[in-house]
Amino acid sequence: MKESYEGVEIVEVEPIEGEGFTIIEGFPDVGLVGSIAASFIADRLGMKEVGYVDVETLPPIISVRDGRILELIRIYRKDNLLAILSDVPIPASIVKPFSRELMNWIESKKPKLLVSLTGIPEPNRLNIDKPKVYLLASKVELGQRLHEAMGIEMFKDGFIAGIKGMLLKEGVRRGIDTVLISAQSHFNYPDPGSAAEVVRYVSKILNIELDVKPLLESAEELKLRLRDLMRRTNRMMQGVQKSRELELPPVYL
Amino acid sequence: MSYRRKPLWRILLDEFRRIEEEMSRIEDEFIRRVKEAEGMRGCITPLHNLYESGDEIIFTADMPGSSKEEIDLRVGENYIRVEAPCRSPIRGERKYLLHVELPVEIDPTSVRARYKDGVLEVVARKRLRGFRIRVE
Repeated sequence: MKESYEGVEIVEVEPIEGEGFTIIEGFPDVGLVGSIAASFIADRLGMKEVGYVDVETLPPIISVRDGRILELIRIYRKDNLLAILSDVPIPASIVKPFSRELMNWIESKKPKLLVSLTGIPEPNRLNIDKPKVYLLASKVELGQRLHEAMGIEMFKDGFIAGIKGMLLKEGVRRGIDTVLISAQSHFNYPDPGSAAEVVRYVSKILNIELDVKPLLESAEELKLRLRDLMRRTNRMMQGVQKSRELELPPVYL
Repeated sequence: MSYRRKPLWRILLDEFRRIEEEMSRIEDEFIRRVKEAEGMRGCITPLHNLYESGDEIIFTADMPGSSKEEIDLRVGENYIRVEAPCRSPIRGERKYLLHVELPVEIDPTSVRARYKDGVLEVVARKRLRGFRIRVE
């Protein structure tokens, strides 16, 4: 049974018009890799806040930075690049309807590509100096093309839980080119090193120059600043069974 | 006024949300206590994890901005205590402090520790008492 979910409102403060959009999203999850990477990209490119997403069931709080009041889930733009950033994890119970509503809006923008950024939990992360990056695409041909163009390893077997998985699923169902870029990461410690590897590949996809050195240099401070968001994200990850990402899907011979 | 019965899936969804709200309340209370303790004592409670693997326990704590020489790590049969300075204080909290009770007894003489990329890892052997039984 399908029900439209009226608890999500997407507001364009400045009308987002144009075509050929590439949209990146960095909702908080494993190692906050997507959040760190997407925020870094928006900051370095000087992207401008052009809209927000209001969710009825989110707690009644506002975010204040340098005396400025910010929406919790914000949409940024520069030319035909859009970025969706969130200061809060999406509660497990609304991940599905939220993803559908967000994808309705994304679909209305007729994007060229939706890029989800995330970490993939790696129990041995402490022994890995340069995290591996994986790509998963909504279409095999799209994945193959990016794999050949960028030498990025394909994500072959496993589970993707939470909002990243739902956006990919909606991408497949609606025929919207969607890719997931994930890097090996600590499960529940903020991981700027992993985010830096994600940024390297995103810059290749977007065909822009992005130096990740400032990100790595501020890693210590970032980890400390983000530990409260990480604590809150942990429970959301339990709710969407993120631990499944450590498992392999069943295969019946 | 017309009365329409809620479909079963809707009842389940509402129940799921109610449980989520309750969990969220408990979590919020936990985080409030952590943050208040941090504020009162000027110490950071690092994010940490404890795993049991075979006859070992593995403990990790995320403590960026410290150094292995400055970490004061103390281990007893049933606890791990860590104190260390932090060189990137966010709100003036200048050191890490953490005391964790262990779910099983360990052999304190077996403990190995390392500090890499801001993460402290402590590995200890469980103290196992018992008899070896021959399997037939």
